[in-house]
Amino acid sequence: MRSAAPVSVGWLAAGIGLLLLFPLSSPDAFLLDVFTTGFLLAAFAASWDVVGGVSGQITLGHALPFGAAAYACALLTSLAGWPLPLAVAAAILLAAAVGMGIGALSAPLAGPFVALLTLALGEIAHEAAVGHTFFSGPGGYAWGGEGGIPVALPWRDAPPFSSYYAALAFLCLASFGMLRLSRSGAGLILRAVAGSPITAQASGVPIARFKRLAFAAGSAFAGAAGAGFALHMGRATATDLSLELSFQAATFAAVGGRGTIAGPVVAALVLHVLFQGLYLPPSARVLLYALTLLVTLRFFPGGVVGTARELASRLGRRDGTRPARRGGRNRTGEGTR
Amino acid sequence: MAHPLLQVLLDGLFAGAAYALMAAGMALILGVVKVINLSHGAFFTLGAYVAYALAGRGIGSPIAAAPIAAVIAFAFGVFLGKSFVNPVRSRPFALPVGTLACALLFEQAAQRIWGPHPLSIEAGAPWVGPGGLVLRRWGVIAFLSSAALLGGLKWVLSARPGLPLRLIAEDEEIAGSLGMDVEAIRYLTFGGACAMAAAAGALLSPSGAVTPTMGRAPLLLSLVVVIVAGMDSVGAIFLLSIGLGIFGGACAWFLSPQWSYVALLAAVCLLLSVRPAGIVVTAGRLD
Repeated sequence: MRSAAPVSVGWLAAGIGLLLLFPLSSPDAFLLDVFTTGFLLAAFAASWDVVGGVSGQITLGHALPFGAAAYACALLTSLAGWPLPLAVAAAILLAAAVGMGIGALSAPLAGPFVALLTLALGEIAHEAAVGHTFFSGPGGYAWGGEGGIPVALPWRDAPPFSSYYAALAFLCLASFGMLRLSRSGAGLILRAVAGSPITAQASGVPIARFKRLAFAAGSAFAGAAGAGFALHMGRATATDLSLELSFQAATFAAVGGRGTIAGPVVAALVLHVLFQGLYLPPSARVLLYALTLLVTLRFFPGGVVGTARELASRLGRRDGTRPARRGGRNRTGEGTR
Repeated sequence: MAHPLLQVLLDGLFAGAAYALMAAGMALILGVVKVINLSHGAFFTLGAYVAYALAGRGIGSPIAAAPIAAVIAFAFGVFLGKSFVNPVRSRPFALPVGTLACALLFEQAAQRIWGPHPLSIEAGAPWVGPGGLVLRRWGVIAFLSSAALLGGLKWVLSARPGLPLRLIAEDEEIAGSLGMDVEAIRYLTFGGACAMAAAAGALLSPSGAVTPTMGRAPLLLSLVVVIVAGMDSVGAIFLLSIGLGIFGGACAWFLSPQWSYVALLAAVCLLLSVRPAGIVVTAGRLD
């Protein structure tokens, strides 16, 4: 178990300081918006990492809790008229319950079949959201389908920097919570389940329960990000449930370094701001994400954090100090934890 | 006018035969390379777009388009197999996510090249059979050529040339110790299986709209077929694919085309819940 943080506290503080200063340099609204969505996506990527990195359950349907919370938020405020805080809380609970369900279904499955099942579940939800106009709002407008469902917000035209700071605060809180979880006793057990389910089981760990816990916890954080996304966009749309979104989360996590929480957050921020800031059309963006992921998987299996650690240990060896050899790496070629 | 159910049955039979070609490719990859290839549907789409591009240049017949699509897909498949799948096949994370990345990469590339809108290919005049039953030209061609190709595959696998494939599927260490180039056979098999998916796509391209995401439903169908029928019997794969083809056609006719996709997704979920062992994939344990 590696306890050293991949990013030192000093660098972290410097990064947050820069992000706090950024809106004061009066950038244009578009760039602020890119960063705001970047913060929410980074929290989403970290929540993928709780399930797919720390716990090793490769999910390709992580957009399901994200989108479920976004839709719950929109429906509860617009159709049922719930107050916003109550709707957000209900949305997060719903996402956790969805995660619990996915975890229960996928707990007996191994390796690639978890990926297959979660992909299928996510696609069912996406088809349901895209193809059917379930609800009609006041004034005879049809809601649902491609256009999505609006969120009834208690404020009008919030200034862009307020949503920027709100999203940044949410990212910091959520990342802190997920880091704490991944380094807690439960997180250690989750890593053991990821490393070798049989060994974990032999040590008396109820692995099905911990798999459900991993999905529930990761999905709750994903749901929080989804609710925040719906509030920021003012609308829940079918793209919140798309396979491309699930895939994006897995990409960020793989590029940053799976199982590190901080790695996916930084990778999500950097890649999202870079690709969005280049004014690329959405299809070109997905194309670049896929290329980045393929190159990472092929040549840098540990992602940025894993590769940096490897380089550091190599440099350490040259200095004559004994390098810390990774025990688990040679067998699967997978673990950098 | 014949009974619509009869017509659905007939069209499903034709489409199912081509799906069997694709599912047999999936089973080959599972047996020999021992990975689940989530980019299999993208090769189906590639075949359909090749057929579309050829039809625009005057080569309208799927009989001509299918081999050309197969050759192109073989080249891409060998590249993918040699430079990505073989090196990462012992990593449980990289395979499903990486092959999905390839599929999305191709979907987006197709969207940039041909646009997101559904395209259609001139299907040729159908033959009208007894009782007003419409015998579609593409359907007859797809059925006959798929059945012939699968028959050929069954023969090759059971005869001398298929021996290395069967041996690697059973025990790759013994195959290697006998002097077989296991790596090369793996990526050649991968390429061949991708060619089969592309041929299926080219054969079925006149049956409906050609879109960048059209390969997703056949991918799921192949997965269902391989989970249920296993990868040993070409005959079982053929019959089950035809069954699912008819089922999909019936769903599309009585409900809406979208429902056949959802039904396949639900079938995957249900099958994985009922049979958690799924299909035996041993990659990652052998290394």
